[in-house]
Amino acid sequence: MKLCSPEAQALPPSNFKTAPRPETLAGLRVGFLDNTKPPADKVMAHLDQRLRERFPGAQSFYVSKTAASVPATAEMMQSLKLNCDVVITGFGD
Amino acid sequence: MTAPFTALARNQSKVFGLPNMQAAIMPHPLGGLPVPQVIAKVDAVFDEIVAKLTRPLPKVPVEAKLAKSLWVEVDVKDEWDDLQKFFMERGWGDGMLAMPPTEARVAAMVGGSGFPPNHVVATLAPKMGVATIELIAANAVMAGCKPMHMPLLIAAVQAMAEEQFNLYGIQGTTHPVSPLMIVNGPLAATLGIHSGSGLFGPGPWSNGVVGRAIRFILLNIGGAKPVEMDKATMGHPGKYTYCMAENEPASPWPSLAADRGFDPGVSTVTMTGSEAPHNINDHDSTCAGGVLLMCFHTITETGQNNVNHPGEPMLILGPEHAATIAKEGYTKDDVKRAIYEEARIPLTYFSEEQIERRLTRYLPKRFKDRHRSDAMVPLAQRWEDVMVLVAGGTGKHSMYVPTFGSTRSVTRAVLKPDGTPWKPEDFK
Repeated sequence: MKLCSPEAQALPPSNFKTAPRPETLAGLRVGFLDNTKPPADKVMAHLDQRLRERFPGAQSFYVSKTAASVPATAEMMQSLKLNCDVVITGFGD
Repeated sequence: MTAPFTALARNQSKVFGLPNMQAAIMPHPLGGLPVPQVIAKVDAVFDEIVAKLTRPLPKVPVEAKLAKSLWVEVDVKDEWDDLQKFFMERGWGDGMLAMPPTEARVAAMVGGSGFPPNHVVATLAPKMGVATIELIAANAVMAGCKPMHMPLLIAAVQAMAEEQFNLYGIQGTTHPVSPLMIVNGPLAATLGIHSGSGLFGPGPWSNGVVGRAIRFILLNIGGAKPVEMDKATMGHPGKYTYCMAENEPASPWPSLAADRGFDPGVSTVTMTGSEAPHNINDHDSTCAGGVLLMCFHTITETGQNNVNHPGEPMLILGPEHAATIAKEGYTKDDVKRAIYEEARIPLTYFSEEQIERRLTRYLPKRFKDRHRSDAMVPLAQRWEDVMVLVAGGTGKHSMYVPTFGSTRSVTRAVLKPDGTPWKPEDFK
């Protein structure tokens, strides 16, 4: 029996050129993208504190989404790109 | 992230072009835990996070660019037992019997659309699957639809793909939400979409198969496979099927489609990201104020997203309740205003953690009176965001349908390929 698969193929992803990885975070700008799911703000703040303790001169840059269930805006992503060397975010609950 | 979300995150990072995204996985949950326990979990993966930020990304394996075959040869001895087992093993179905999408059936279904089979209607999150007419048709066959239902399904897919609907959020969330299809206009009767007694339940109408086809499309084209990608904690029965028509003949007011500017002869599909309906039982009120009061105090629930998201809470009035309200001169807008102004929840009904972690963060303006002991919380940002419909049959019941909150409903006309509306006479 010949059947039509109901499953779709996905659009091929656009090519992403990733930023070069640093060897250390000392003196770098670490971005935190808060997905607003509690307790993301506490997680980010604690990571920020520990990174500053481990890596002297590290700076932090925070961006918070407006709600957990909507994507970060293009403006938010651009601000992270311009102001950060690395970015940490959370996913899900 | 926590472990249960790993598959979804990996899938999405691949879909959006970062297949080698680095992640630190923690035991679930983080939400709902006291802060010291959250900090302990974060500390446990801190070194891993630092390592993954400072070492080269692993190389992405090059996948053979082999498109999955659209047509599958299936060798089965028994069409029902073996075939149904095949569907479940592939994750194509919903656990109930599905119609085999054979060449003849799919071709007939495509014929009902008026479009060529390879016409692309939209891409659907989270997989960003390409929804062609042929794929929509295959899912419609499996769900038990007839070719005449294809125009509704096409309009529904278009609506769900619009950015404001936020299908991505709806497909992956832990929240119990399912797209509800609301049909307006003359095609509701022509295509068998029931609006009267028992409309949310089983019966000799097409609501079940059309709503089921939507779910199959979301499952197979959108890729929201349960547990792995669709993270619904429990979900709700509307995730099997969720389709209705507004009972326009029984309504004392203009229809939802008319509110949104569509001409009377144009049939529409409105998609809303909705929870399961909640009954409002009022057999005794004889005036508008009484019915509305019963509505207000049924719908003022703390555990709904309309409290802390800019959504569109929906009231479906049964015809008898609607008549009681309308006979005193209330318009639909009057009902919406009344709900917005009167259906409010004391802030003291929410936990301190809810207020601190969610309410005041998500909607600071709505909760600007946070420190007042008599602060009351509305269910919408403005009265215009309240949706009011009339549906159902005999009896003094109405329904409240909270929505996902992070979604706006979308209404699309049901159109032919040439852009003109489908009419009942097209289906004779």
